[in-house]
Amino acid sequence: MKSKLLLALVTITLAGTAAAQAEWMGLPQPHVSKAPAGTPVARVKPEDAIKWRQSGYGFMAWNMVRIKTNVEGTYNKEEVIKAANAIQAIANSGMGALYLPGTDKGTGWEKTRVKPEFFTNRDWVNKAALAFIKEANEMAKVAATGDAAATKEQLGKLSATCKGCHDDFKIKD
Amino acid sequence: MNQEKFRLWDLPTRLFHWALVVAVVAAIVSGQLGGNLIDWHGRIGLFIVGLLAFRMVWGVVGSTYARFLQFLPTPGKISAYLRGEWHGEGHNPLGALSVFALLALLTAQAGSGLFANDDITFVGPLFDLVGKSLSNRLTGIHYLVANAIYVLIALHIAAIALYGHVRKQKLVKPMLTGWKDGEGESATGGGALALVLALAVAGAAVYGASGAWLPAPPPAVETPNW
Repeated sequence: MKSKLLLALVTITLAGTAAAQAEWMGLPQPHVSKAPAGTPVARVKPEDAIKWRQSGYGFMAWNMVRIKTNVEGTYNKEEVIKAANAIQAIANSGMGALYLPGTDKGTGWEKTRVKPEFFTNRDWVNKAALAFIKEANEMAKVAATGDAAATKEQLGKLSATCKGCHDDFKIKD
Repeated sequence: MNQEKFRLWDLPTRLFHWALVVAVVAAIVSGQLGGNLIDWHGRIGLFIVGLLAFRMVWGVVGSTYARFLQFLPTPGKISAYLRGEWHGEGHNPLGALSVFALLALLTAQAGSGLFANDDITFVGPLFDLVGKSLSNRLTGIHYLVANAIYVLIALHIAAIALYGHVRKQKLVKPMLTGWKDGEGESATGGGALALVLALAVAGAAVYGASGAWLPAPPPAVETPNW
């Protein structure tokens, strides 16, 4: 029992030291984003990061409109489930990793429209992101019930969380 | 005791004014909250297009004090007013500036909104005419003009309060009842025919703004089933 505890302690210490050492050795390149301790991070080029986050939002846009079309016209439960699941998957994909330092400027598929303030208001942005993920998860749950009225209401709540960021952190050119 | 009063604002002008107040407040609230209310924001915008079109026509064919030429704020009139030498009725020259500024800004606001998008699910009814990148520009303008409108609304209300307290001029009551106490010439003109004309133009404007005349989207086609 005691030895197991000790082993665990040693493992944690070693892991921590290794991480610290890697940083000390200057291993993280400018392209590497800071993820929560212990999360392995793939190296992403800034222009790829911007491209991929734009792709994520673009793909979600299709699915948002898809749900809207269904609640406004004939409701197809399967369609709505597919769309809601797609949004949920992207929402939970950890897109925060694509907001590398320095990517407040740059061009992916098009020039990024994120404001620099997005990178300096961490707490606010995190809160907005968590609210979005929560409503995206709820969207998938509601879609599974096939209730058109509830879907419409939830789509509204989900849209409002998108707007939470757009209003303050998207450049309106 | 002076019991005299005269007809200042005709009924269509007053209805326009208060409908615009309600619609602008509703547009601000629905625009700020977003979510499902964004669809209402769009509908309210179309209603405001109709109100503005109505007022443009009424400013030409309406009754005396509703006419643009009657209160056109020329530099001469403005300087006379600032020297305290202006003695007219209806919109005073400074108020007239505010009226024209509000009408212009609200027109820009409703107009840009018709082409705007929110990058979520909403697009203005005429979005397809301009495409995404121009729509983004117009959306940016929509946000900017909103701020200018807040400033003008604040000025408008502050001016009413100021005239009420300092100058003892009640501006709200005539806008409610149409009558103003004191001596003055009652408004004339703006009959039924003028009203029909203004309403017809307003209706046409809403129809044009609604995009109902745009070609229908292409019908659904067969796509791979995966």
